[in-house]
Amino acid sequence: MTTGSRKALRAEAADASVLGDEAASTGHELLAQAHLRVDLAIDISSALAGSLNLRRTVLRLLDLITPRMADWAMLVLVDDADGLALHGGADPTFTTTTPRPFVEGTGLDRVLRSGHDELLHVALELDSTGALATMIPNPRLRDEAVELRPADVLCLALTARGSTIGALVLIRGAGRGFPEEEVEFARLIADQASMALDSARLYEERSRIASVLQASLRPPVLPTIPGARVSARFRPAAEHLEIGGDFYDVHGSKDDWLLVLGDVCGKGVEAAVLTGRARQSIQTAMHFDRRPSAILAVLNNVLCDDDSSRFVTVVCARVRPSADGTSAAVDIAVAGHPPPIVVHANGEVGQVDVAGMAAGVIRDVDYTEVRIDIASGDTLLMFTDGVDEARGSQGFYGMDRLLGMLPAYAGAGPVALCEAVEQSVVEHLDGRAHDDIALLAVSCER
Amino acid sequence: MTVSDGLPTEAFDHALSTVDEHAAVALVRGLLDDGIDPLDVLVDLIARGQREVGERWQRGEWTVAKEHAATAVAISATKEVDRFANRVPVTRGRVVVACAEREWHALPAMIVGAAIRLHGWEVVLLGASTSPARLSQCLHDVGPDATAVSCSVLGAMSTTRRFIEASTTAGIPIMVGGSAFGGDDRRARALGATAWAPHAQGAVDALLNLPAVVRRVPPLPRSLMAEHSAIEIGHHDLVETLRARWSATTTNGPVTEVSREVLHQALHAVSVALLTNDPRPLPETAAWIDHLLTARDADHGLAAELGVVLASTLRDYPVAHDLVQRHWTEGLVPQGEPVR
Repeated sequence: MTTGSRKALRAEAADASVLGDEAASTGHELLAQAHLRVDLAIDISSALAGSLNLRRTVLRLLDLITPRMADWAMLVLVDDADGLALHGGADPTFTTTTPRPFVEGTGLDRVLRSGHDELLHVALELDSTGALATMIPNPRLRDEAVELRPADVLCLALTARGSTIGALVLIRGAGRGFPEEEVEFARLIADQASMALDSARLYEERSRIASVLQASLRPPVLPTIPGARVSARFRPAAEHLEIGGDFYDVHGSKDDWLLVLGDVCGKGVEAAVLTGRARQSIQTAMHFDRRPSAILAVLNNVLCDDDSSRFVTVVCARVRPSADGTSAAVDIAVAGHPPPIVVHANGEVGQVDVAGMAAGVIRDVDYTEVRIDIASGDTLLMFTDGVDEARGSQGFYGMDRLLGMLPAYAGAGPVALCEAVEQSVVEHLDGRAHDDIALLAVSCER
Repeated sequence: MTVSDGLPTEAFDHALSTVDEHAAVALVRGLLDDGIDPLDVLVDLIARGQREVGERWQRGEWTVAKEHAATAVAISATKEVDRFANRVPVTRGRVVVACAEREWHALPAMIVGAAIRLHGWEVVLLGASTSPARLSQCLHDVGPDATAVSCSVLGAMSTTRRFIEASTTAGIPIMVGGSAFGGDDRRARALGATAWAPHAQGAVDALLNLPAVVRRVPPLPRSLMAEHSAIEIGHHDLVETLRARWSATTTNGPVTEVSREVLHQALHAVSVALLTNDPRPLPETAAWIDHLLTARDADHGLAAELGVVLASTLRDYPVAHDLVQRHWTEGLVPQGEPVR
C-alpha cells in the first residue's frame, strides 16, 4: 500500500467530523472514532456484497462514502473503449464519460497508470480550479468541487485482481483534511470497493454475453394471425434463467400458419441449446413442405444425423383460418408428444387422436397427420408434459384434472385458457420444483 | 354509447362481458387518438371496468372462467395503451415492475407499468407469480432505479416481503401497492417497503421521490415471524382441519364452489396480520367472506362461525388465536348487512 504525496501539508485541525477529528485526543474520543470507522467498514462491505450490477454498485458506494467519509466523491472507471466513466459528485446518479487521452499528464492519469494514491493539499487562499483540474476532468464536477472550498483531495487507485480499474476521488472541505490514519482507512475501503466493482464488471460482461445468446433461445413474440387468436405461456424449470427445454413457435403468413410446440429431453441451458437447433430445423423444413408430417420427418432425420443422443418431442399444427374468421382447418402431426386438446364452444373437451415417434431416435419415420376443423368458439390447446406431470402434495396434476378444468373455459379465448391452466398447475405445485411448462393455444377470431 | 365522466364506460364494460377483444381495443385506440389522457383510460376505464369484473364474481354473477375471459380482454386493452406509451421517449430511469408468487392478477401491475412508462420511465415488466430468484436475477441484470410490486391478494404478501429483501439487499428502493396493502401505508411500512402507492397516479408520484440507494431491510420481529412461518408451513393441514370443522364445508351447500378460496383467504389473513403486525386483514377478510357467502344465498352466520372455527384451529398459535378472537367479528354486523 503506497501513497504518492502523503507528506502534503495538513490543514489546521478544526471541528470534529464524523471520521476525521484530528483533534481527538482523549481515549474516549479515539474509541468513539474507531467505532464509527468499524461501523462504516461493516456497512460498506455488506452493502457492496449485495449487488452484482455495476451501476447499482457505483451508486451504493457513493451513497456510503458521502458524507461519512468525504464531503464530495467522484468515481472514475476505465471502460473498454479508451474512455473514462465519471460517476457521482453532488448528485450520486450523475454519470458522464471523458476520453482517456483528455486526462493525459494529469494527476488522475498518474494514479490510473501507477496504481498509487495521491493526496493533494489545496492552499485555501488561492483559486483551487487549477489544482482540482488535475484530478477532475469535467467542468461541471470541477465547479462543484471548487464550490466546496476543498482542503484535501485524495485520489485513491482502485486496483483489483492485478489491474487498476479506476480511481476514487474524495474531497474534504476546509478544516477537515485527511490525517494519515484516515488515508489508511480510505485505502482499506477502496480495496473493498475495487473488488466489488470488478466483480460487478465481470458479471456485467458475462451477463451481456449470456443475454445475447439467451435472446435467440427465448420464446418468440407471437405474431398476429388474421382470422385467429393465439396465446402462449412458458414457465421454465429454472424460472430465473427464462430459458429451458420447452419451446414453441408460430410461423407463416396470410392464411397459412404453422404452430409448433416441443420439448427437448432434459432442462436448463443444455436443453435450451438443442431447442434452438430444433426450432431452426423446423423453420427451414417448412419452406420446402408445409405439411406437419413432412416437417416432423425432416426434423427427425436432422436430429438423427446429430451426434447428440437427445431426442425431441413435438406437436406441429398447420392452421388455415377461413377468410371470415369463423372456422379454421387444422392439420396435426405429433412426434412422441401428447396430442393437443380441443375445447369446443359447447364445453365438450377431447384430445386429438394422433400419435408418432419422438424425433431423433431412428431415421426415416413416416408421421401420420390428421385433419380437424375448429369452429367459432373452439380452442386448440397444445401443452408439454410439464403440465400433466407437475407433482404437488396430492401427486401428479394429471390429464384428468386438466381435461376436467377446461370445459369451464369454453369460449373464454386462448389467453384466458392458457393463463388459467398455468395458474392451476402452479397452484397444484404449491412451490415445488417443476419441469418446464409450455402452453400454446389457438382459436378462431370470431 | 353512454358516456359517463367523458369515458365510454358502458361500452367498455359491454366489451368485457361479451369477451369482445376487438371492440375493447378499438375503443381504447379511439380514445387515445382523440387525445384523451392515457392515464385516465388506464384508471377510469380499464381499472374501473376490471373492478366491476371482480365484483361480478364476488356477487356470484360470473364464474371464475368468465372473470378470466373478461380479464384477458382488459389486458389486451391495457396493451393498447402500452403501445401508445412506448412512443413516449425515455427520459428517466428504469423500473422493474413485478408480481410476487401467488399473485395471478397481472393486470394491476400492467396498468401501473403503463402509467410509469407514460411518464418517461423505461419499464421491465415481470409477469404474474414471479419467484424471488427470478426477481433477483432481473435486478442484477437490469440494475433498475426502483422496483415496483403490485400485490392484490393477501396470499402473495409473504413473497412480497421477500421481494423487499431482494431489492433492498441490492440497494434498490422498492415501491409497493395494491389492495392487499389496504388503504394506508401501515402494512407497506411494516414490510420495509421504501414507499407505498395508493393508485397508479400515486405510483408515478412516489417514483419521483424515491432515494437513489436504500439500506437492506432489518429482519421482521421474531415473536410474530415464528408463528407466521409455522402457519405458512402448516397451511394445507390447517385448511383440511378447517374444512372438517366448518359447517359450510361439512355439508354440501351453495358455497361449495367458493369454499376452497374462502378457507385459503382466512388463513392468509392471519398470516398477513402476523407479518405486518396489523390486525385489520382479519375483519376485512371476514366481511369479504360474508359478502361472498351471502351473495350465494348462504346463511349469515357462516362467516361468524368460520371465525370461531379458525380461532379454535389456531389454538396452538397464541398470537394468531388472540388476533382472530379479538378482530374477526369486527368485520361482521350481527343481524344484517356486512360492513364494506
